[in-house]
Amino acid sequence: MSNSTAVVNLEGVASRAGPGAATWGSRCRGGTYLYLAPALVFLVVFTYYPMGFSAYLSLFQWNVLTPEKVFVGLENYLTLWRQPLFWLVLRNNLFYALGAIPATMVLGLFLAILVNQKLGAARGIYRAALFYPTMIPMVAAAMLWVWIFNPGIGLFNYYTGFLGLPRLDWLYDRHWALPAIIIMSIWKNFGYYMLIYLAALQGIPGELYEAAGLEGAGAWARFWSITFPLLGPTSLFVFVVAIISSFQVFDQVFVMTQGGPADQTNVLIFYIYQNAFRFWDLGMGAALTTVFICLLLVLIALVFRAVGRWVYYEGE
Amino acid sequence: MHLRSAMWLTVAVLLAFAATLPLAAAAEAPGKLIRLTFYYPVGVAGPLAKVIGEMADRFNKEHPGIEVVPVYSGDYDPTLQKVQTAVMAGNPPDVFIVEISELPTLLAMNAVIPLDDYVRKAEGGKYWEDFFPAFRENSTLRGKIWWIPFQRSTPVLYWNKDLFKKAGLDREKPPQSWAELKDMAKKLTVREGGDTKQWGVTISGGWNDWLFEAFVRQNGSWLISPDGTRVNFASKEAVEALDFWVDLMHRDKVGPPHSTWGSTPPDFVAQQTAMLYHSTGILTFLRNSAKFDFGVAFMPKSKSFGAEVGGGNLAIARKIPKERQDAAWKFIEWMTSGENAAHWSVASGYVATRQSSYNVPAMKEFLAKDARYLVARDQLKYASGKMMAPNFQKIREILKKQLDDAVDGKVPPQEALASVQTQVEIVIKR
Repeated sequence: MSNSTAVVNLEGVASRAGPGAATWGSRCRGGTYLYLAPALVFLVVFTYYPMGFSAYLSLFQWNVLTPEKVFVGLENYLTLWRQPLFWLVLRNNLFYALGAIPATMVLGLFLAILVNQKLGAARGIYRAALFYPTMIPMVAAAMLWVWIFNPGIGLFNYYTGFLGLPRLDWLYDRHWALPAIIIMSIWKNFGYYMLIYLAALQGIPGELYEAAGLEGAGAWARFWSITFPLLGPTSLFVFVVAIISSFQVFDQVFVMTQGGPADQTNVLIFYIYQNAFRFWDLGMGAALTTVFICLLLVLIALVFRAVGRWVYYEGE
Repeated sequence: MHLRSAMWLTVAVLLAFAATLPLAAAAEAPGKLIRLTFYYPVGVAGPLAKVIGEMADRFNKEHPGIEVVPVYSGDYDPTLQKVQTAVMAGNPPDVFIVEISELPTLLAMNAVIPLDDYVRKAEGGKYWEDFFPAFRENSTLRGKIWWIPFQRSTPVLYWNKDLFKKAGLDREKPPQSWAELKDMAKKLTVREGGDTKQWGVTISGGWNDWLFEAFVRQNGSWLISPDGTRVNFASKEAVEALDFWVDLMHRDKVGPPHSTWGSTPPDFVAQQTAMLYHSTGILTFLRNSAKFDFGVAFMPKSKSFGAEVGGGNLAIARKIPKERQDAAWKFIEWMTSGENAAHWSVASGYVATRQSSYNVPAMKEFLAKDARYLVARDQLKYASGKMMAPNFQKIREILKKQLDDAVDGKVPPQEALASVQTQVEIVIKR
């Protein structure tokens, strides 16, 4: 992303430099591509080639029992289509995205606005404390939450007990296991979004709020008319990152539930892992990977199209 | 000038490098050291990695030409994945332990060598017969011996004597039959309002497919034929066994329907459950952690007592030179000697795989202090081999999914097991 911005800027400089500088400009463009080449080589070798190869592999039956690849065309995809578990996995992913993304974003924004207030010396402590879960490695955090969600001696039931809520089996209950993972993931991720929002909030000029104050706008009006629109690009960025990471969810599931009970927490990446490395069905794993990549591309394209219309970029 | 000195420098460096090569080779030639990579899992709670490390050190000291490098590779599933990946990449670990049901998969991958020639010569030909018959079962396929029993177990029933007393039961009498189990579990379950404060019995999740096979055995049937070609998941006996689970976990709610293999031993220690079905391999962990008196019993019977063995065996990779395979065999033979099998059993709580291990003085002394370690061995009389088939990982997932659905009351036992039957038939025929 930053690389392409660099190209645009250089071109801008070259065209503004007037006539006579044209040759320098074209030479410069060649230079830019030269400088970009190493990054491109890395992308091709480690990203696009594996992606293409995985799409190629998805056309073969290749597993423990057929160690020699057999070409089967689209059979792996058809098998997936007919497999109820595949649809359950997609449903779980969707449920996770719907549960985790809005909550994490709203919480991140809300807390960013709070810790952006003049809190005096306590501000640093608040910021550090709220950001803390983000710094813990996911696997360690997941191990911790296995105990927090323990039905008998876990903290979570202990606290909800004070609120008069019934004790739940959380990770061991087919209805509550996925919500439990969502709760844990919100706790783990909101700090990251809060940090991004905080940075964006500090980029909003104070004069705007002063002017609004003079006009007699209340806090609510100031939020909707100034903060929210000016955070548009940040929200878009956060939203895209959140979608991607919601489809990448794996560590929590691996550590906390292994996809159980009865596959109620089985998600796409875990399902790929199961097929490729546990059942050693590489053809199926490759087919799933291809589905996963296409799904993500389509989703992100949709987001950019839909959101791009009403996100306001400064300087446009 | 500069260029020339740079050239000379390069030549000098190259020469110096070349000079070390023959020296290095010469240093290695006499009494060449064979370094073996040994992947092993730890399938149960406890610091067993330390015990393996200590045993490998002892072996290395006693065998100057060989150095075994133990590599801890997670629990059973990750270990299998690492071995499979390494085999596929053409760089397998020389010797490794994986879970016993994976033998057909290893054979399909052409990953291991038969050990018959080694076994026949070992200990004057008396080596193999000394292993408990039930432990030998998962070693043989297509008429050959492929691997040697090492960390072996059966499931057993643990019961909390203090909680038995509190519930008005005889603290020394664990349930003998399914009916007694259900009855006692009801008395041992403590509820407050809608919450269960204490479960009667926990049939541990994670490897509940293994425990389920034991229940089917007790009810007089089997799930997969020993050669891995026929499946029998939907028998009347299996349906009855699953229905009994549904009774405990869904209708009477005296046991948690879901749990994990790692979480249930601490639950038992925290007195969250009064009885626990788990591997005998956790006995040492429980002994060290529980602040109350507990007992170890045979799993209760239905038509008869019944269990199947579990755990991991030692195998030698196929795609390594013969001299490494010979060295690997020396290591396996040493690890599974009567004395070392006894040592491993005392340190871990696993059943010693050799009958002669129980005559080793250190073992006798240890068992005199705590007879609970004998229960699993005595249960071997009623035990048979564990089910095994190609692509067992997938079969296991299929079975576990349907077990989960059944004990949640989502699918009737009959239907759940019929579904397992159809799906597993497809996996095996593929």
